[in-house]
Amino acid sequence: MTAAGPRPAAAGTGAAGPDDDRWPDPARRRSTAAGTVASLARVEAGLLTRSVVVLAGLVAGGAMVYHFAIAPTRPAWWAATWQIGYGQQILALAVLVAAQLAAGRARRDKLSELYRSFPATARTRVAAQLLGLAGALPASLVLVGGAAIGLELSGVLGRPGYAAPAAGVLLVIAAGAIGIAVGTRFAHPLAGVLAAVALLVPFSQSNRFTDPFIWLFPWVAPDQLGWVPGQLAGYPPAAAHAVMLAAAAGLAGLVALALTAGRRRFRLGLAVAAAAALAVAGVAGAVQLRPIPAADLARLAAEVADPASVQHCTTTGPVRYCLYPAFRAELPALQAPVRGVLARLPQPPARLLTIRQAAQVDFTDPVLTHGHPAALRARWAREVARAPGSASSSSAIYLIAGRWPASGAGAARFSLALAAAEWAVGLPPTAGAVYGDGRAQCVPLNQAREAVAIWLAIRATGAPASELAPAGPGRQSAVYVGGTPVVIWNYPGEGASYLTSLGPQPTQAGYLLAEAMTQLPARRVSRVLDGAWSTWLNDRTSQARLAAALGIPLPRVPALPGEAGPPPGANPVPSSPVCGP
Amino acid sequence: MTVNLHTSAVSAAGLSRSYGATRALDRVDLALEPGITGLLGPNGAGKTTLLSVLATVSEPDAGDVTLLGLDPRDPAQRVEIRRRLGYLPQELGFHRHFTVAAFLDYVAILKEITGRRERAAEVARVLAATGLESYARRRIRTLSGGMRQRTGIAQALLGQPGLLVLDEPTAGLDPEQRLRFRELLSSLPGDPVIVLSTHQADDIAAICAHVVVLLQGQVRFAGAPAELAATAAGKVWTADGRYGRAHLSWRGSDGRWRHIGDHPPEGVELDRPTVEDGYLLLSHAAGSR
Repeated sequence: MTAAGPRPAAAGTGAAGPDDDRWPDPARRRSTAAGTVASLARVEAGLLTRSVVVLAGLVAGGAMVYHFAIAPTRPAWWAATWQIGYGQQILALAVLVAAQLAAGRARRDKLSELYRSFPATARTRVAAQLLGLAGALPASLVLVGGAAIGLELSGVLGRPGYAAPAAGVLLVIAAGAIGIAVGTRFAHPLAGVLAAVALLVPFSQSNRFTDPFIWLFPWVAPDQLGWVPGQLAGYPPAAAHAVMLAAAAGLAGLVALALTAGRRRFRLGLAVAAAAALAVAGVAGAVQLRPIPAADLARLAAEVADPASVQHCTTTGPVRYCLYPAFRAELPALQAPVRGVLARLPQPPARLLTIRQAAQVDFTDPVLTHGHPAALRARWAREVARAPGSASSSSAIYLIAGRWPASGAGAARFSLALAAAEWAVGLPPTAGAVYGDGRAQCVPLNQAREAVAIWLAIRATGAPASELAPAGPGRQSAVYVGGTPVVIWNYPGEGASYLTSLGPQPTQAGYLLAEAMTQLPARRVSRVLDGAWSTWLNDRTSQARLAAALGIPLPRVPALPGEAGPPPGANPVPSSPVCGP
Repeated sequence: MTVNLHTSAVSAAGLSRSYGATRALDRVDLALEPGITGLLGPNGAGKTTLLSVLATVSEPDAGDVTLLGLDPRDPAQRVEIRRRLGYLPQELGFHRHFTVAAFLDYVAILKEITGRRERAAEVARVLAATGLESYARRRIRTLSGGMRQRTGIAQALLGQPGLLVLDEPTAGLDPEQRLRFRELLSSLPGDPVIVLSTHQADDIAAICAHVVVLLQGQVRFAGAPAELAATAAGKVWTADGRYGRAHLSWRGSDGRWRHIGDHPPEGVELDRPTVEDGYLLLSHAAGSR
């Protein structure tokens, strides 16, 4: 049966076509495909900019940048530009999820059938969503800008580079393109989350890599960048990384378009473009994997082994500060606690103190020296092993470059003040034990000068008692001197390794006496110290004598459980030496 | 009758479409002109399949279709058709977090209305036409089913389409909204071709100039609603009791029984048939074959 309309058919029997005006387009609109893509891209960009997921990623990313790049140590631009990438990674993963949600929106919301009835094709929508990734730029730029402000406020060292932050922005765009490719194929929201997790693994775990491939993920990897005594010129190769990310973004976009491509010719074009993008990414990756030039590493080794050859020194009174050029801005922060100690001395010490930066760069790490002969790597390692800071010294303090915390970190100031005070009272501020190698420090057992040094450091830095409080009963630890346990005092910053080497091992007895001294009027303590300064510096002057001179009882040190010493048959405990004159 | 594919606004000849072993459309011929055509048929009769073919979202297995004088098999002409098409699928989803205005704006872009002012004016026009102005800033997820249906109708009207394909547009609308919908379709400018499917025979009777009854994938009737009603003339009657040989019987609000059947008993009071009566008779005849 045939269904025929109520009206007579229109006249004419010729074939109809697009120009047939019997049923004209009422609106008579004719937008170009590019115009549709542009309009749609504006909407998609706006949606992405306002996406809750992206905004959450921005907040989380900002927190990551603060936590890793700003808060822990005084930041340096050569490392911080990459550390901003910590936050960009989180933002990138959020953008990936948001882009996947956008790309799968039509199918997920059961609008595919309706959308197929529109003149704008799925390819048009994907192209618009790819362009709409521009909507992630504000968040990425806010992150970079906010981090830059935070870094500047923290007194960041060095000068910023632009290639690494640009690569960070491209990282966000590339992740978004991947999200669109995933969403074009898989509409379920979990697909984006899974893709984000899959990306998170290499990003977050790349610092576990022990080979040069770590440089393909430079956002987490180059811990050593923070410890080098300045910019390692051209490394990591940020421009190459940016090119690689741009190629990755392009590749993901091409995959997304290919998933919607109908015509064979168009698919062929996409395949050619994808091959080109792969080639570009491969070349950029190869550039990143190139070894650091031997000349640069040799210069770095020389700067580490012989800091004096490049450092600038500033002398203030009896103290000489020697810093790598890139760290000169740290000078006032270093001078403050030392000046506080010097101001409380009745007379300046006769000998000079040198406070020098030392770099701890591991030349056996293949991340740094890959691609160079083993003999050359061994030579560099031997060279830096001679670096100052590992030998005992009574007149030098060695600060590890790149470890000085951001402003306001009391522990670092106290560490330096205590080391300076130890020097001032005749204790060796550098015990000669590289931190952590197990060699014993000397113990100022029952020496009045120990309490004086601790009192000076407390007064110089105003360290609050709550930070200085010793461990409670049951959590105390001890060293052995002549087979007798001595309860020790772990001061703030002791474990943070701001210095290459610790000074003497403070005892809890010394701390308790110093703490009791801080309860007295400062003038009274100064009068006692000033009156017999040379006596108090004598290593044979006991803490009991100092307490008596101050008119206070000698504080009691809580007994250690099992003070009788190690049980019979146990391994012999190494005995610590007593600090001498 | 042979359909001339090039002279009618919407033409189909020998249209067939199967889903596995199920034949949804079986050699359908169709010729529609500007005006409102109602598509009647039970569930599974092939209405939605036919409308999706007319909306260019699915292709027939066999047969030819011409829409607004254009061949949807040709990619360029298919795009041209889509530029002049408004479509309301039967099961329309929504971007639930979009506002009504934002959704319509988005659809307007997909319909290639890319000028900002033009788009804003067009969105405002369809909002007014569907009575949704005060809901423009509301998120779709907060709307009732009827409001969502009106949003779906509004998007179909964007761009003043020359071909409007509406699959059960009055589903979910309350009586007042249905009346407004009738008013809206009747007053659309440009004399578009409108094809709508519905289970509401009174909608057909009220606004359609033409009705097509689709049963088991085949066109069983095409003509004016009055003609469909006339097919039941002399086969609808009222009696005090139930009559066993009637195809359908139901008791009205006055307590009397209304019957539809091919053989009314002698002496009964014949009723004036409606479109629904004609459709029910056709359905019964098709079912008894």
